[in-house]
Amino acid sequence: MMLRRYRLEVIALFAIVAFIGLFLLTTSFAPDAEFAGADTAGSAQVAALTGRSAEEFTPLVPQWEPPSGEIESALFALQAAGGGLVAGYIFGRWKGEAKKG
Amino acid sequence: MHIMEGFLPLEWCIAWWVLALPFLGWGFFRLRRVLDADREALPLLGVTGAFIFILSSLKLPSVTGSSSHPTGTGLSSICFGPGITSVVCLVVLLFQSLFLAHGGLSVLGANIISMGVVGPMAGYLVYRALRDSRVNVYMTVFLVCAVADICTYVTTSLELALAYPAAVGGVATSLGVFLGIFAVTQVPLAIVEGIVLALVFKYIIQLKPEILFRLRIFPERAITEARGGA
Repeated sequence: MMLRRYRLEVIALFAIVAFIGLFLLTTSFAPDAEFAGADTAGSAQVAALTGRSAEEFTPLVPQWEPPSGEIESALFALQAAGGGLVAGYIFGRWKGEAKKG
Repeated sequence: MHIMEGFLPLEWCIAWWVLALPFLGWGFFRLRRVLDADREALPLLGVTGAFIFILSSLKLPSVTGSSSHPTGTGLSSICFGPGITSVVCLVVLLFQSLFLAHGGLSVLGANIISMGVVGPMAGYLVYRALRDSRVNVYMTVFLVCAVADICTYVTTSLELALAYPAAVGGVATSLGVFLGIFAVTQVPLAIVEGIVLALVFKYIIQLKPEILFRLRIFPERAITEARGGA
């Protein structure tokens, strides 16, 4: 009964555990993998196809760059936190409304 | 799925922008219509948009040894259609262009086409095909989200392949190479994204089924059935 009620939660949990397992497998089979962004890999491929070095591709529109990786991850976290805040607030409000009937 | 700033020749930047603008216009028009018709749609828009923000900020490692992020656009596409979803993606991609140096203003058009137009559109087609079928609501949400995610990255690969055809074999060879980078990396992410968003949809169904009835997102029978099981 419990399992039926929380079937989706259980599936999600398994999927996430499997995802982590896959990551561990990847790291053990390919210890050199850097896990840089696919964006970066794609850009490197563009450079390889054109025979130019990646540094030659300069922004067409001037662009601000986060001064360090730490600041970049802070801004990414901010993006996620903003989304989490909104989703949490609305789910909470719906829950409250449902209780009041 | 970002194409990085400077990595698309000017003529392609302009072409994708020109293609993206009508979709954004349609999206803004639809957004006004939906919100004018029903203010209660706003919280649902908030939730579906919030998950685009959350999921597209997560860079996850994958089997190819590189990292990529889910798009989260499927839920929004189901609830509001691809037009409105493209507007939400504009906001996210603009944020990432301006503050994270992910993507950029010149390539924004191309990135909107992949994440905000083709992905959600492909997902929407899956949704329309399955909406009135006997397929379980959660299975539908899973498929829509996974397809929207994968198609986004297939489009990115195509955009790059069109701009950079290989010396031998042309666009097709290039496409194969870029698919190997973007699409393969994305497969496990798309599956997890589909499952997670199906779970989110379960909570929407449990907490606010009325709004799903009112916006006629799924037939009442399907929602009622889904509330009972899973």
